[in-house]
Amino acid sequence: MSPLSPYADPKYFLILLVALIPVIVGLWHGHRLRYWESGVALVFIAWMFAGPHKWHEGVALIAYVIFQLALVEGYAHYRKAHNQTPTFVLAVLASIAPLAVVKLTPVFSVQPSLLGFLGISYLTFKSVQVIMELRDGALKAVPPVAFLRFLLFLPTISSGPIDRFRRFQKDYDAVPTQDAYLEMLGRALKSVMLGFGYKFVLGYLFGTVMLPQVTQAAMAARGTWALTWPLIGYMYTYSMYLFFDFAGYSLFAVGMSLVMGIDTPVNFNKPFAAGNIKEFWNRWHMTLSFWFRDFIFMRVTFFIMKHKLIKNRIRVSQVAYLINFLIMGFWHGVTWYYIVYGLFHAGAIIINDYWLRYKKKHRATMPHNQWTQALAVVITFNVVCFSFLIFSGFLGQVF
Amino acid sequence: MKRRVWQLFGPVAIAAGLTLALFLAPLSFKRMSPAAVRSASVAMSPTVLAGARAKNQALAQGAVPFFGSSELSRLDPFHPSALATRYHRNYRPFLIGAPGTQSLTQFINAQTMLPKLRHKKAVFIVSMQWFTRRGVMRPAFDYFYSPLETVTWVLGAKNTVADRYAARRLLCMQAVKKDQTVKSALLQVAAGQKISRPLRLLLEARLQILHNEDGLFSHFTVNPHERELAKSVRQLPATATNDQLDALAAKVGAAHTRNNSFGIDDHFFSSRLGEGRLAKMRGKQRGFDYRFGPEYSDFQLLLTAFARYDVDVQFVIPPINAKWAAYTGLSEAKLHQAVEKLRVQLQGQGFNRVLDLSRDGSRPYFMQDTIHIGWRGWVRVDRTVAPFLAAPRRPVSYHLNPQFYTKSWRDAVVSGN
Repeated sequence: MSPLSPYADPKYFLILLVALIPVIVGLWHGHRLRYWESGVALVFIAWMFAGPHKWHEGVALIAYVIFQLALVEGYAHYRKAHNQTPTFVLAVLASIAPLAVVKLTPVFSVQPSLLGFLGISYLTFKSVQVIMELRDGALKAVPPVAFLRFLLFLPTISSGPIDRFRRFQKDYDAVPTQDAYLEMLGRALKSVMLGFGYKFVLGYLFGTVMLPQVTQAAMAARGTWALTWPLIGYMYTYSMYLFFDFAGYSLFAVGMSLVMGIDTPVNFNKPFAAGNIKEFWNRWHMTLSFWFRDFIFMRVTFFIMKHKLIKNRIRVSQVAYLINFLIMGFWHGVTWYYIVYGLFHAGAIIINDYWLRYKKKHRATMPHNQWTQALAVVITFNVVCFSFLIFSGFLGQVF
Repeated sequence: MKRRVWQLFGPVAIAAGLTLALFLAPLSFKRMSPAAVRSASVAMSPTVLAGARAKNQALAQGAVPFFGSSELSRLDPFHPSALATRYHRNYRPFLIGAPGTQSLTQFINAQTMLPKLRHKKAVFIVSMQWFTRRGVMRPAFDYFYSPLETVTWVLGAKNTVADRYAARRLLCMQAVKKDQTVKSALLQVAAGQKISRPLRLLLEARLQILHNEDGLFSHFTVNPHERELAKSVRQLPATATNDQLDALAAKVGAAHTRNNSFGIDDHFFSSRLGEGRLAKMRGKQRGFDYRFGPEYSDFQLLLTAFARYDVDVQFVIPPINAKWAAYTGLSEAKLHQAVEKLRVQLQGQGFNRVLDLSRDGSRPYFMQDTIHIGWRGWVRVDRTVAPFLAAPRRPVSYHLNPQFYTKSWRDAVVSGN
């Protein structure tokens, strides 16, 4: 049996929808078929790792899930009576440890880590978030079955969007009315069809048809340290490919969640229409950037202020941005280009903050109309595309 | 509520229905323009080789298929396509082959074309380099894999030695194994069973879809080979005898082989063997042996098909650059045994048109590089091929022998001298 990768081709949707027919009929009549739903999820997850080349990833997933479950339940139990900071830090570090090992292994070895499997990052985001909310007291208890359901929710298991436990649980417990469910199915259809256009038409056009051509042209023109025309072509083509491929994928995940009566948050909101970098991060890979905002940026800021490490509020946010994006860079992978990508965005957002403050001060003399607006969008778009050129790692091959 | 359900899902249902109807409808496509056919006949791209439309339209317009592999892309002024264009021959070559096309690929990708070749002629350049121990290179087969041609073949497969053998061979290929319906059908053919009825219906629907896709989506735009060919044609004099062409070929060859002592094209030499790469090749081919392997039986599939459709085929066995062979340590004795084995297989079954050039590897400017025929080699080919194609078709009598599908033949040594 060969593995079935999520959303890799249109056939996946047919197979999954057929398996979900009882769930759809059930929701339509106001019932959630819990056991059937879980059964389908388990079969499809097993199928993802079927065959001689993937089974060990499946084993890694099982071990990972058992570990995270024990950790979260252990911490939830502990948190009922105690609230020591070192224990919390230890729990978070333990939760991140498998992902850290997987990400660091390529630095030391050509063999990928045995702990790795498709989707480990996204499961880690979910698990860490639960521990953090237990610490805050926002979550009092995490029933094991509910935690597993949240962690292993089939439509988003491999690459997000990253949902939040309480939000997910609310949707799961409340079966939508027939009207609401029909509206959800309508949105599901729209998401999936738009996703088809994004991933299988535009993503294919940019990624499979155009990218090899511009890659070859850029390689042929290499040998200077300048931005050659083909390299600029590569930059835009890769950026478009990155967006349409991932946004298409995210739309699929949102669409299939809706079919199952879960309103998974969207991941992209016209990112290239952003007028500045800050706005870009509110539109691009939104569930990731909100996760980083809530669990890294805010916490770093709060930590610095509480311990009065830095007095100047502007400096505080600048340091927080640097740490935030540096961690995001390391999360993408321990290579120079992901880390430079992170630092580049931290730099861009800090410069952007300077500019916004300058603009505020000179509001009276600063022109503001649709032309300046358009200019802002054009500049932001190009800065972002350049950051994706760094992200692609292609500069390492060309120079 | 019903109304709302219809508003949401009606358009998708209609669109899906229309798409399915479009693909399943027996569409007919308008004739390709002569310019498009001309372009396709030198394209040698997977679209052309694995598709059906261009090949079959060209044949219907009287083109002659030239089967081969990498040598077909050596479009120097003496290439068959250049000579046919310049001297307004009564035939237009349609080039079927590219680096990596071997017997099994050629056999499968000829399926829709074969009925149109019935009682006609073809030219087939067979390279000894195909006949390795492992036979067809798997990635190359996958690259040129044509579901359209394969489904066409499997639907017509019978319980014969040849078809069972072909099914078994195809089942070794990754591209075929990934295709569940085709794989199931092949398993039945390999087992000597009839394809079950539901599977047959599924394959027929699939074939219709593939035909429509081929007609709707294969586009033939100007390709670089066309420009190359036009440049080559311009270098030819308005009239020339074969001897005059030979002299000119020697002159052109001499002008292109100045930077090495192997008689290899300068550009090829500097880009592929320059910068110390040549030295690494010394003695590298001492172990090469073309005498055994599945390619002999794969080739028999082609012979079986040519016999079945009564095609008169001129075979050409090109040489290997002798200086190159000596440098790399390729065994001449083993090579000649392999050629002899192939000739036994051909002539033993009545395929008597065999132009064996395998001993001409030391003639100057005969090869364009290491293993690819060029300049004077092409002129030599023309001396045989042009009269063959100009003459009226004569009856052929082939008598096939199934022993060429056996392991004992694949492992047999035929002593050459």
